Amino acid sequence: MAAERISWVLLAYRLPREPSTPRSAVWRKLRRLGAAQVLDGLVALPLDARNREQFEWLADEVLEAGGEASIWVGSLGSAAQERELASRMAATVAADYRAVIAEATTTGEQPTGGSRRTLSRLRRELRRIRARDYFPPPERELAQRAVEELAVLVEEPVA
Amino acid sequence: MKWATRRHCHVDRAACAWLIRRFIDPAAEFVYVDDPDEVPADATPFDMRGVELSHHDGECSFETFLRRYELADPVLWEVAKIVHEADLADERHDAPEAAGLDVLLRGLSMVRDDDELLALSGPLFDGLYEYRKRALLTGREPA
Repeated sequence: MAAERISWVLLAYRLPREPSTPRSAVWRKLRRLGAAQVLDGLVALPLDARNREQFEWLADEVLEAGGEASIWVGSLGSAAQERELASRMAATVAADYRAVIAEATTTGEQPTGGSRRTLSRLRRELRRIRARDYFPPPERELAQRAVEELAVLVEEPVA
Repeated sequence: MKWATRRHCHVDRAACAWLIRRFIDPAAEFVYVDDPDEVPADATPFDMRGVELSHHDGECSFETFLRRYELADPVLWEVAKIVHEADLADERHDAPEAAGLDVLLRGLSMVRDDDELLALSGPLFDGLYEYRKRALLTGREPA
């Protein structure tokens, strides 16, 4: 039985080289959405109403900045390519989760029992990463646990 | 007047519909379409690609409405920050309410159709407006 292929929404775009502000604004938004770069000027996200809408607004932003943009919906030609793309996306968020784990661990090891401010920042960061995590790697659970452990340390009175 | 927007409304469209009814056109009638091509000739489209009353310069449609209709009420701009973050979450503004508003409206849209969603979210935005107004007048979060 052939595995069901994922549907993707793709944004093909080209922006003028100058000014650079719209370029970096688009790039920042793509990173926040967790979009995978397929080629220069071609990015992809798993298809759902929200991702499609976010790409549509980005396409309009590109057009308003004097560029070209179009939205495509499709699936990959082979299961192997799909796996490759999904694991590349998972690897990106895994690195982000690892940064959270590292910081939660270092903060927890400090003699003060960890800082409340770091905890709330890490919780926010974890929420942001989860929002762009479409193919959860094992690091997701580990990061969740590391932050929860830090929360326990922060609540404990220091002896 | 007739107003048209995309089917399956979420926070930006719900907020725009509230704004239209309360500040622009109390007798507003809404139609929902799947594609910009389906907008009736006598309707004003909003929050759709390629129309005037939509996203511009990284702002959401609600913000565009405030600019186009010159609604300078500072309370509405406070509400706009929350709608912007609930819709786009690009951290242009600091609006911690946004995450909750996004979830409430997304959930509501799963169990109600568009007309009901707008009817139910209207009073929610009335309340948000009132809360932000009191906060602005007193300089502190109202209790």
